Amino acid sequence: MDPSFRTELARIVGPDGLINDASDLLTYESDALTHLRSTPAAVVLPTSAEDVQNVVRLCRRHGVPFVARGHGTGLSGGALPVKDGVLIGLSRMNRILDVDIPNLRAVVEPGVTNLEITKRVAAYGCYYAPDPSSQVVCSIGGNIAENSGGAHCLKYGFTVHHVLGVEAVLPNGDLVHLGGSVLDTPGLDLLGVIVGSEGTLAIVTKATVRLLRRAEKVMLLLAGFPSIDAAGQAVSDIIAGGIVPAAVEMMDRLTIEAAEAAVHPNFPKTDAVLIVELDGPASEVDELFAIVETICRKSGATTVEIAHDQAQRDRIWKGRKAAFAAMGRVSPNYYVQDGVVPRTKLPHVLRRIRDLEARSGLRIGNVFHAGDGNLHPLICYDAAIPGQAEHAEKVAAEILTYCIEAGGAITGEHGVGVDKKGYMPKMFGEHDLDAMQLVRCAFDPTGICNPGKVFPTPRLCGEVPGPYRQHPLERAGLAERF
Amino acid sequence: MPPQIYEPADAPAVAAVLQAAAVDRLGVFVRGAATKIAPPPCDVILSTAKLTPAVDHVAGDLVATLPAGMPLDQANEVLRRERQWLPLDPPRGHRATIGGIIAANDSGPRRHRFGAPRDLIIGIEVALVDGRVAKAGGRVVKNVAGYDLSKLMCGSFGTLAVVTSATFKLSPVAPFSQTVVATVSDLRKLSDLALAISAAPVTPTAIELQSPPHRLLVRFETTEGSAAAQTKRASEICGQHGATTGIVTGQAEADAWRAHESRIFSGAGTVVKVAVLPTDVGEMLSLIQQLTADVEVGISGRAALGIVLVRLGGDAGTHEPIVDALRAAAAARRGSVVTRGDFGSLGDAEPIMRAVKARFDPQHVLNAGLTPWG
Repeated sequence: MDPSFRTELARIVGPDGLINDASDLLTYESDALTHLRSTPAAVVLPTSAEDVQNVVRLCRRHGVPFVARGHGTGLSGGALPVKDGVLIGLSRMNRILDVDIPNLRAVVEPGVTNLEITKRVAAYGCYYAPDPSSQVVCSIGGNIAENSGGAHCLKYGFTVHHVLGVEAVLPNGDLVHLGGSVLDTPGLDLLGVIVGSEGTLAIVTKATVRLLRRAEKVMLLLAGFPSIDAAGQAVSDIIAGGIVPAAVEMMDRLTIEAAEAAVHPNFPKTDAVLIVELDGPASEVDELFAIVETICRKSGATTVEIAHDQAQRDRIWKGRKAAFAAMGRVSPNYYVQDGVVPRTKLPHVLRRIRDLEARSGLRIGNVFHAGDGNLHPLICYDAAIPGQAEHAEKVAAEILTYCIEAGGAITGEHGVGVDKKGYMPKMFGEHDLDAMQLVRCAFDPTGICNPGKVFPTPRLCGEVPGPYRQHPLERAGLAERF
Repeated sequence: MPPQIYEPADAPAVAAVLQAAAVDRLGVFVRGAATKIAPPPCDVILSTAKLTPAVDHVAGDLVATLPAGMPLDQANEVLRRERQWLPLDPPRGHRATIGGIIAANDSGPRRHRFGAPRDLIIGIEVALVDGRVAKAGGRVVKNVAGYDLSKLMCGSFGTLAVVTSATFKLSPVAPFSQTVVATVSDLRKLSDLALAISAAPVTPTAIELQSPPHRLLVRFETTEGSAAAQTKRASEICGQHGATTGIVTGQAEADAWRAHESRIFSGAGTVVKVAVLPTDVGEMLSLIQQLTADVEVGISGRAALGIVLVRLGGDAGTHEPIVDALRAAAAARRGSVVTRGDFGSLGDAEPIMRAVKARFDPQHVLNAGLTPWG
């Protein structure tokens, strides 16, 4: 990197906002997908949108790629630095700028953590709905990039449903406002595309989010089933009964054992547990909860525990949320997969995973958002055994093909990033990816904003073509233009 | 010369029409049921009327793929066989097509609970002007693979591509419905009442204001027992705000909602959409009252969402200054005013909107002149 470029970076963000030192850069060389690493030329820690604009403009002038990073909790390598590029860390832009309870809005900077918003407004009986498992540490900027969900998105939707507007720096350095605190801002819904674009279109410097009022009543039950199929039947019957629970989570025997070893939630020792949460007005929850309980019992539930207070609910949720980390108790290493299948295909896909488990010789734990078909198979392996890590990765990859074949998706919440970009052509055709590139090229024609992510093969954008007339030979199908 | 009319029957045929038009630099207007806009001067009218293959409904997954040319009510008739529906109730739902509703991101009173098309859409198929057909999203509710072009198409007014089908998440049909009709003496009070109800532990599917007479319609769609309990609670809040209340259900309720829709969307006049913060609705209502003292006016809107719809009747020459005054007042409150054909300012996002349009439709074939971004 040109020394004058570095000097200019330091001038923009101040000397303490620039990280050059090789040992300090180590912190930033990966996100939570730790096996992929890349060292950036420099890390900048801006404190304002203007700083971000100036850094982006400088990068654009010099043709230097840049990558935005929140708190580095991403699981698909979306914030993996580009070698010799600039990493723009947004952790210092971490203020909650405004809270408007009567209108149920909050304006936050991208480095604010997800849970901080809820903490700030809890005293008013309000909360911020998307609740990814990492909500204690993950940033809103990262949530916007990944369109994060969580256990409660079955009923309440994803980040895209809760972000009303953003201020963002485009790859040309322009500052734009998309959406806003008021609904229906005129124009194209570019906000709907930026959310979930994995930092490839713009850098969000401010967001207006929607707050919700806490439901009057929350009820939760934990039901043990003799088989995954029986638990799956209960979920189907709940949905068929016209009930949309706030959350429906399922765990299998291996993940139950792991959670028990780690946080002792006192789950029944069965082949499957189902956690069902309903919320809403007391009159509605009371009536529907009785139906859910009946459905669970009719589907063969051997145990049904109903949480009567917050402490009991917290204990059950802790068992569920600890499932990932708890796998460390039963296996030296594990690989977390994230795929989605239509809910009606869950039993079929789970059977295929069972067969794969038997065939591969690796244990596979299953914990998933049963309401929306989002699977998180945990593939256990021992990195000390030569070749087993690679084997686990292959097994994880095979599960993704099951998801695609079942008409699902290669990622429900962790994103494509670097990790899954090779699978995009399995889920989408060339035309589909080209149509997405149209958006990409409109925002980032020179390809400097988080390049190498989401899409399998980088493409050059080229200029917007001028008036074009098809040659008669082309029209006749006798020639192609290259 | 009158425009040529094409009615392609599938997505590749739509794409072929677009490609041919692009080659010959013809202007294409995309038409659904024409419930919102009449075709402007153009070379080609591309009608979606024949894009009506069967609804692909997977009840167990609570999703359905719907063809662009199908009227909403017809699609919902199919979905209701499994006690599900696409929870959108835009005006003229018996005619308005799925494609048109997506293009305009149109919704109705139940947006209060269920959101707009962009909140419900999970996948899309579009025909592009380069002659290709592309898909985005999928048929599962949870999916973060690739850019969400479905949302981009919502509210794009057919300027980027032609939607040929779309997949939505659905809702169960509630077993019971009833509506509290609260009448107040002062228009502005409707806003206070709406805010009070939205802050209470009740979950209405609509909180709709109406004038004249000054009424709030609060709809509950849930179990019969819960509807009764929530209605009681809402009625108490209405009483505390000095409103007189009645409750309608069954046919009377259906009639009340139909009449509500028609006060804005039938008859001549200028329909104005005002968007402000929910707490600014009261002030905007007062202003509307002042400005329209001598004009025939109908008001409705999603009171707790900050959306107010105004139909100005009578002499059309008097409408422009009213719209201008409302626009200035809304802008001062970070809001917006949109009328048919007049979007107002796009702010600092206009260049990037134009850039997106230029990539999708470089020759400006699609719906040229309809929107300020192209």
